[in-house]
Amino acid sequence: MQSNISLTISDLWIERGDRDLCKGFSLTATSGDIIHILGDNGAGKSSLFKTLFGLVSPVEGEVQLNGEDVLSYRDPLLKQSLYISHALGLKSVFTVLENIRWYFPKVSEADIARVLSLLKIEGYLDVPIKALSAGQTRRVALARLWLSDLPVWFLDEPFSALDMVSIQLLEGRIREHAEQGGIVFFTSHQPVTLLSPRRVELTA
Amino acid sequence: MTYFSYFKAECLVLFRRKQNLVNALLFFALVIVLFPLGVDPSKAFLAPAAGGIIWCAAALATVISLESMFKEDYADGSLEQLLVSGLSISWLVLLKVLVHWLGMIIPLLLLTPIFSEMLFLPDGVLGVLMTTLLLGTPGLFLIGSIGASLTVSLRQGALLMLLLILPFYFPIIIFSTSAIQAVASGLPYSGLLAIIGAISLLALVMSPLMTPICLKASVR
Repeated sequence: MQSNISLTISDLWIERGDRDLCKGFSLTATSGDIIHILGDNGAGKSSLFKTLFGLVSPVEGEVQLNGEDVLSYRDPLLKQSLYISHALGLKSVFTVLENIRWYFPKVSEADIARVLSLLKIEGYLDVPIKALSAGQTRRVALARLWLSDLPVWFLDEPFSALDMVSIQLLEGRIREHAEQGGIVFFTSHQPVTLLSPRRVELTA
Repeated sequence: MTYFSYFKAECLVLFRRKQNLVNALLFFALVIVLFPLGVDPSKAFLAPAAGGIIWCAAALATVISLESMFKEDYADGSLEQLLVSGLSISWLVLLKVLVHWLGMIIPLLLLTPIFSEMLFLPDGVLGVLMTTLLLGTPGLFLIGSIGASLTVSLRQGALLMLLLILPFYFPIIIFSTSAIQAVASGLPYSGLLAIIGAISLLALVMSPLMTPICLKASVR
């Protein structure tokens, strides 16, 4: 993993349908940072992530990865980041293993088995996603956090539908990732217990 | 995610959701069967019309199979993941179209000889009909993917998609049926085949440019 990364957002102005979601939003994150993005429903937390990935265009502002502009050419940022959104990106006709294989064709069976047993879904390897509960489905999506080596994480409400044990497991993984030099952005309405993230409030 | 793992996943999705494909092929068969029943079952009517009937049925079946092309990806969030994967969306779209096209064209080419026999297609025309299908349907699929990506976020987008892309299907259908008529009346037809190929090539250039733009506009 790259040891030193910095992501700088300066004066970002996002508008959605005549409504300013954030104006003059600035933030600098470097390796080891955990950033908790707060805001009311509809404050623009998801839109902020989508803007960084180019799914929504900002009115103005700059985003730089290691000093390089990524708003006009996003590939450097996309190649470094892992994004888990509300919609989990799992195919309902696939089994758990097929879904993971789709994202990680090169990861070994042993690694997948280890991560799934960590997440307590080891018995569901060949079960179709549509047969799992909401929390189990989310854990399958979150397994990507253990299998991926991408440094910048964007997690949109990662704790929803999870039980207490899973939440602590996930918080542990986020802390571990930051200690290894990664950057984690996450949104959550629940307070976190194990982590002491930098809190950033989104206000219009 | 790599291009190859995406390709494998697409093939698997097509296989697991084979009902969509079967529906489209069933529709293709029904249109062809209804024609002689509804209009005229005599050889005098069917023989000159056979190529056109098969082509129109193939075009409509294509629209039906393409309508749901991006729907599930959109609903389950994997479309979003594709857009942020860092892979080129144009290549991913081409791979998807390739998988859908192969899934459709192989059974279509297998069924065509049977139906052309049923519709009294003149001897020696079947080869040209198959060639026009092979050359023209890539164009249908590539143009269709633009329409499917434009209407992916709409709940009832099927009819709108049909209205959007059908005008672009006309030249392919017209030149294909003219090629079939030309060979039936002993005229040279290679120029018409070249035009069909050219339209498909144009679609091959335009579709990977337009479809990603429409997909990005839909995922918001």
